[in-house]
Amino acid sequence: MSVFRKSVGTLAAAASAAAMLSALATAANAADQVTITFANWAAAEGATRPGLDNVIAAFEKENPDIKVVNQAISFTEIARQLVLRVRSGNPPDVAEISGNDTFLLAQTGKLAQLDSYLGADEAGKLKPASIDGFKVKGKLIAFPWTLASAGLWYDKAIMQKAGLDPSKPPQTIDELMKDMAAIKKSEPDVIPLGLDTTNRAFSLISNWPWMKTFGADPLAKGGATSDAMKKYLAWMRDLAKNGYIDPGRKIGEFRPQIAQDKVAFLWDQVLVQGVIQSTNKMSDADFYKHYGVAKQPAGASGKSYSFEGGHQLVMFADGKHKEAAWKFINYLATSPYAIEHYTLSYEASLPPLQKAPSEALAKKLDTPVFNSFLNDIMPTVATPPYGPQFAAAATAIMAGVQQAVTGDTPIDQIAQSIEQNLAN
Amino acid sequence: MTAAVARPGSKTPARRNVERVPWIDWMVVPTLVVLAVVIGYPVVYTLVLSSQKYNMLDMLPPKYIGAANYHHLFVDPIFWTSLENTAIYTFGSVVVAALLGLTLALLTESLTGWRFRSVRALLLTPWAVPFVVVAFLFRYMYLQNGGVINAVLLDLHLIDKPVLWLNNSALAMPAIMVANIWAMTPFFFLLLSAALAAIPNEVIESARIDRAGIWSMVFQIKLPFLRSALFVSSLLMIISNFNDFAKIWAMTQGGPGYSTTTLVVYVYRLAFENFNFGYASAIGVVWLILLLVFAFVYLRALRMNP
Repeated sequence: MSVFRKSVGTLAAAASAAAMLSALATAANAADQVTITFANWAAAEGATRPGLDNVIAAFEKENPDIKVVNQAISFTEIARQLVLRVRSGNPPDVAEISGNDTFLLAQTGKLAQLDSYLGADEAGKLKPASIDGFKVKGKLIAFPWTLASAGLWYDKAIMQKAGLDPSKPPQTIDELMKDMAAIKKSEPDVIPLGLDTTNRAFSLISNWPWMKTFGADPLAKGGATSDAMKKYLAWMRDLAKNGYIDPGRKIGEFRPQIAQDKVAFLWDQVLVQGVIQSTNKMSDADFYKHYGVAKQPAGASGKSYSFEGGHQLVMFADGKHKEAAWKFINYLATSPYAIEHYTLSYEASLPPLQKAPSEALAKKLDTPVFNSFLNDIMPTVATPPYGPQFAAAATAIMAGVQQAVTGDTPIDQIAQSIEQNLAN
Repeated sequence: MTAAVARPGSKTPARRNVERVPWIDWMVVPTLVVLAVVIGYPVVYTLVLSSQKYNMLDMLPPKYIGAANYHHLFVDPIFWTSLENTAIYTFGSVVVAALLGLTLALLTESLTGWRFRSVRALLLTPWAVPFVVVAFLFRYMYLQNGGVINAVLLDLHLIDKPVLWLNNSALAMPAIMVANIWAMTPFFFLLLSAALAAIPNEVIESARIDRAGIWSMVFQIKLPFLRSALFVSSLLMIISNFNDFAKIWAMTQGGPGYSTTTLVVYVYRLAFENFNFGYASAIGVVWLILLLVFAFVYLRALRMNP
């Protein structure tokens, strides 16, 4: 019995020693390991969360000295949350951001400048246009994660039913109006054009190319009352009066509808392909037969425009682990694994690289949709004058657009009220 | 708070006890501290902010500008539109919901037993639905394409093309008010049903013996008894609707144009979209004063009708 007790005691002592050693080793590893926080909306959305988790796991495996803590914040909340966290001295290490929010955040002066981290070699691999737009006073404040400009998506089946040639999407506003009239006549239940007419900053970004193609710039001095702006407002009113648009709806609400052949044309980003296919389960081949995308039909200016709606990654000046944060940013945006398993698979967007980093990826990027965006649409991107004024102006301008679309107030009066509210 | 009890044997008990009543009851200090932190501090800070130029994006300290924010408020057309919309939304919804609640309470008054319980449960259902759900429910019902309201009206040939309920400047506010009234009516129904049940049977029986008709019974007997319940519940709902954000934001975000922008929506946009906390606070102060007026009237009413 006593021998047994002794053995048990020895075993227990050995086990305790082993446990202590293991704990010490773990503590030593933990001391070496850097933890960075990543605030993003990709983790807040069921559709993208698995892809992001997978890429983060792959990054942590490749970089055992870095642990990434995912902080899910919804898309609509992220700018507010980040500004408040910056003000309270508690920013994350890395954050996902996009559109005007990137420049709102930059206004705080608390975004880290990325020029010193981005070497000349790495910069040379990026599409120049993908980083040029994110320079504030010559300094790079955000790194492009995904590129997602907007084009005119068209449903070939609906066009065919309306007696239109699906291989010839409208090239001008006049052609667009004729096509929509034909569609409305043959299929009254179909929404001819999906256009975001809500009152929010994103809506102004989305409508900015349409204003530009009419030659309008509502933020310029006297721009809201210019003839070009009035022509744009009158055109929007025509769209609503003829039943060509469904006013007051967010762009995301049209995506499932085009997947079900209930929207003929949709002004939306490259990522729509992923949404349509996840809704109607179409194969790639069937999708390219059924849908196409073209650059914006040109208006009075004779030029087509687009907007860049991709996502960026930023790091914060007060972050404690900037080297690790930069490594993570670079991995998410440019590593072949992240591009294949997240950018293409979950965001259906384009990477910021000039060239695909592998043959396999080059093959995946060689699709009719990506080619159309790369060759025809992305060169037409016109960046709006982002910043705090843009956010404030968005409410005034989109309120005017809504008035034009939903009421009978004379266009001149609406233009005047936009100008007055902008001045306020 | 502390009851003054005269001790036997004291010469001037009343005077001594008055002297002994403390100016503050220490038992309420924790409550006062909590109130000071969660209500007092934000209110005082809002007052201070309203006299400052303070944009959170600037990363600059707030700058004192006196009454400039209040001056700007008087020349800001959107503020006046918001105030007008708030008044229309609040009073319009409360008046209609109160009348509907009263009518339903009077109609179901004679029901007893399981019938009353079933009808009451059914009528109270909208009150149990969360406001955001109500907003989305009505938003989808109002849709131009695929909305059930337009579908029914089209099927009945009452309209020849879908109506833009939420996307027409003239219709958006009434459309939101309908959703609000639907959600609020059960509250009035519940309170007024309880008040009706509390009318003494003797009064009703006397009126019947005097051969009072239905209308005179309602207007001469029941309504006077319901007056205080109606008044207090209306004031409560006015205060609640004045702050209603969820329904309007979920249904129209204050649009189209500014046709459904109320004070709360405008303050939200100024503070949390433009980060202009100084000006938003000035509007918040005006809003607070208006609510305090209603709260004062409410407290007076409670005191007069215990």
